[in-house]
Amino acid sequence: MEWRHRSLIGLEGWTREELLFFLEQANYMEEIINRPIKKAPALRGKMVVNCFFENSTRTRVSFEMAGKMLSADVVNWSSSGSSTSKGETLRDTAWTLEAMGADAVVVRHGQVGVPDYLSKKLQRAAIINAGDGTNGHPTQALLDLHSAWKKLGELNGAKMTIIGDVLHSRVARSDIQAFRKMGAKVTLCGPSTLMPEDTDSLGVEYVSDVHEAARGADILYFLRVQAERQEAGLVPSADEYHRRWGATDSLIALASRNVVVMHPGPMNRGVEIASSVADGPNSVILGQVRSGVAVRMALLYLCLGGAR
Amino acid sequence: MKEQPGQIWVRKATVMSERDMKRVLRRIAVEIVERNKGLDSVVLLGIQRRGVHLAARLKEVFRIEEGVEIPTGELDITLYRDDISTLADQPVVHSTTLPCDITGRRVVLVDDVLFTGRTVRAALDAITDLGRPERVQLAVLVDRGHRELPIAADYVGKIIPTSRQESVEVRVKELDDEDMVVICERKGGTVSGVEA
Amino acid sequence: MSIILKNGTVFDGFSLGTEHEDILIKDGVVVRRGADLEGEGARVIDCAEKLVCPGFIDIHAHFRDPGFEWREDIMSGARAAAAGGYATVVTMPNTDPAVDSQVTVEYVLSRGESAGGARVLPSACVSRGRKGTTLAELGLMAQSGAVFFTDDGAPVSDARLLKIALRYSRDLDVRIMEHPEEPSLTAGAQVNEGAVSASCGLKGWPASAEVIDIERGIALCRETDSPIHFTHVSTEHGIDTIRRAKSEGLPVTCDVTPHHLSLDENYVLVGRFSSAYKVNPPLRTRRDVKMLWKGVEDGTVDAIATDHSPYHMDEKDVPFQESPFGIASIECSVAVVLDTWRKLGMPAGLDRLLSLFTSGPGALLPRSWRSLGALKEGARADVTVIDLEEIRRVDVNEWRSKARICPWSGEMLQGWPVLTLVDGHIRMNRLEDGE
Repeated sequence: MEWRHRSLIGLEGWTREELLFFLEQANYMEEIINRPIKKAPALRGKMVVNCFFENSTRTRVSFEMAGKMLSADVVNWSSSGSSTSKGETLRDTAWTLEAMGADAVVVRHGQVGVPDYLSKKLQRAAIINAGDGTNGHPTQALLDLHSAWKKLGELNGAKMTIIGDVLHSRVARSDIQAFRKMGAKVTLCGPSTLMPEDTDSLGVEYVSDVHEAARGADILYFLRVQAERQEAGLVPSADEYHRRWGATDSLIALASRNVVVMHPGPMNRGVEIASSVADGPNSVILGQVRSGVAVRMALLYLCLGGAR
Repeated sequence: MKEQPGQIWVRKATVMSERDMKRVLRRIAVEIVERNKGLDSVVLLGIQRRGVHLAARLKEVFRIEEGVEIPTGELDITLYRDDISTLADQPVVHSTTLPCDITGRRVVLVDDVLFTGRTVRAALDAITDLGRPERVQLAVLVDRGHRELPIAADYVGKIIPTSRQESVEVRVKELDDEDMVVICERKGGTVSGVEA
Repeated sequence: MSIILKNGTVFDGFSLGTEHEDILIKDGVVVRRGADLEGEGARVIDCAEKLVCPGFIDIHAHFRDPGFEWREDIMSGARAAAAGGYATVVTMPNTDPAVDSQVTVEYVLSRGESAGGARVLPSACVSRGRKGTTLAELGLMAQSGAVFFTDDGAPVSDARLLKIALRYSRDLDVRIMEHPEEPSLTAGAQVNEGAVSASCGLKGWPASAEVIDIERGIALCRETDSPIHFTHVSTEHGIDTIRRAKSEGLPVTCDVTPHHLSLDENYVLVGRFSSAYKVNPPLRTRRDVKMLWKGVEDGTVDAIATDHSPYHMDEKDVPFQESPFGIASIECSVAVVLDTWRKLGMPAGLDRLLSLFTSGPGALLPRSWRSLGALKEGARADVTVIDLEEIRRVDVNEWRSKARICPWSGEMLQGWPVLTLVDGHIRMNRLEDGE
């Protein structure tokens, strides 16, 4: 397959065939993680810059591992806070990175649209979106797809329920897009104060009762609850949240027998997910982490390779 | 040789029939037994993609003629190619599965056509990352010459001298619905893409 | 100095003439309108196949002067307006210092006079410093030449002050222009509340924020019997509310912008979060755009005003969320409207559309300027000539405005102004080479 995508800003332009092809490639990449020598020379000499404007250890380390396993050189540029607070504009940062010779820029930023902005400014480097504000986190969606696909085989027609703070979640937005592309039917559940106003336009259904939402589901995806939402009065106490929307054994029991339980991590055990579920037989949460490295390897391989 | 998009290949001649292939593989199997003084610690590794199917056939021959189950695996060398950054498209990665730890074993690499030698070089690099065999040998169905690296095969099915304009295709039932080896000729020059 | 505009189709501010007519201009006044006119020593400008209209009036533009001259100043703004086909432009008072005193009103007037572009008429603040607490010196500013009172950039903050301002301004014959927004509903909002905000999680700006402020203003208008004008109305329900007030006979008027007539919220996504599409009020739904055109067609809308909001590249060429709100368009806005009108299948009559650039806004000005917007014998020689067929690319590098970011940059639009006259002086001429 001719790989058309040089950058990954969002999954809009990806076809279902491309997603399937990608998932298969990620599978083969996973084999390298199992080797005694976790390295293949495919991206030797390529320079990947992790440009993280928001704190994130997990995603950054995942990208770093992925790059290093393919022998790329990975460099970290961390900058907390907005570019204006540092004095240098984002535009200048972008040009600096390109002048330094970056082949790929992996960017996470608190503002929507930053990867789009960078891709308009950079000529050579590939842009990989590691999360832009509330808008998207496409590599998370890809690794979620990979984990679910490995467990379930076929995602076409699968029933997926996403539970939690969808309004502020870029993970939810990207997952909705990706899983729908693979033919899954997606339902949302959670406090109504934490749902987007117009769910119809996203192609999903909103169900207020969590038991109804979980019934018969093939995939149950639990989002993190952030402390700020509680402080803003949008969500009741952690205890109430756990009782009304938390992943408990009794809730999981309502879903299909082989239900896949997922969480983007890091977990607030006892709030959105009980430990017995997180560590239980239906949970693929650790598998998601493993998929994360494999998926990011496949992504770097496909985007960075080839003559340009 | 891998087919490049945009080029037109025309079949010129059949150099091995299905029966020829069967006979040749049996002979190679015998040579492997002789050279290694038995089959202890021999491991077959087929190079993706057609080498995998040829290795499976060798395994079958060993099972029938020698009554031995030889551990057989698949090796994908895509990530080790030396031309990755010059190709227009990213080549597709296939699976690598080792049947066992290859450290200390006698690995026999199996491939369909030996040409420039670069595929085998990549395979050797991949093997080095996977373990430390006692010995590595190479079995190929066809040697068509034009080596660009100092690489030689230990077991050769047939030597077929060719010109650079030609290509040798090993066709296997599992992928191509027939077993045969053909020579093709390039017509019309290159359109785009990289020369093999 | 006399000029004869020859052979064009004349639009007098209300209706289109049917035959080829000439306009004879002498000493800054329209002397005659008729066929085959002659004048000794007159300069003849061939307007065949063109529309000869009263000079277009833009009642809402930001020239940033005094205080923010790196974004625009009165000179560059006035020249940009003339290049865009406007003979008169009303500037907004949210400058630094704000235009809330006689001195600042007079400053804007005098800078405008020497600019050599469109006529610049200043609007002045309703409240002192635009702080929304005390009334500014409305009477003195009207005397000095302010033509609207507005706290634009923001609504008049409390109803009590707005009511007082409405009562007070009634006798001054200067209208209050209200920026309709309920700030508690729009805090932190970036885009229209709806499909786009759902898709990307940016905080949404509900239609109700506009409607609530319009309803407030109408209620006060009803009680004070003073005219009130709502600027840059962008929603279906906003237009509906104004339509109902008008049918009640209340002195309520409104304008809409070229961008709200041509763009919708989807441009934010399709444009991949380019800040060129970030504006207050935000781009709305396709249905809102359709209903705005309905308002144009049925007379609910009185004027088209650009809300030209220029920024420096360094300020505007940043990621979406960081960017200030505003579209700078005065040099291509007439073309945007004409092009959109044509693309949508001409949803309103041409005469109605042209009246929204001329007699419509003219009627909203104080008496001394009310004759602007009509082309007739004895009137000031403010003329805008339009070529409906011309297709031209929007090239921001040619702009006289300091702004360089615009949603239509690089686009081919059909229907352009080709000649602008102010008091008989030529301020823009693309009909003949060299000006």
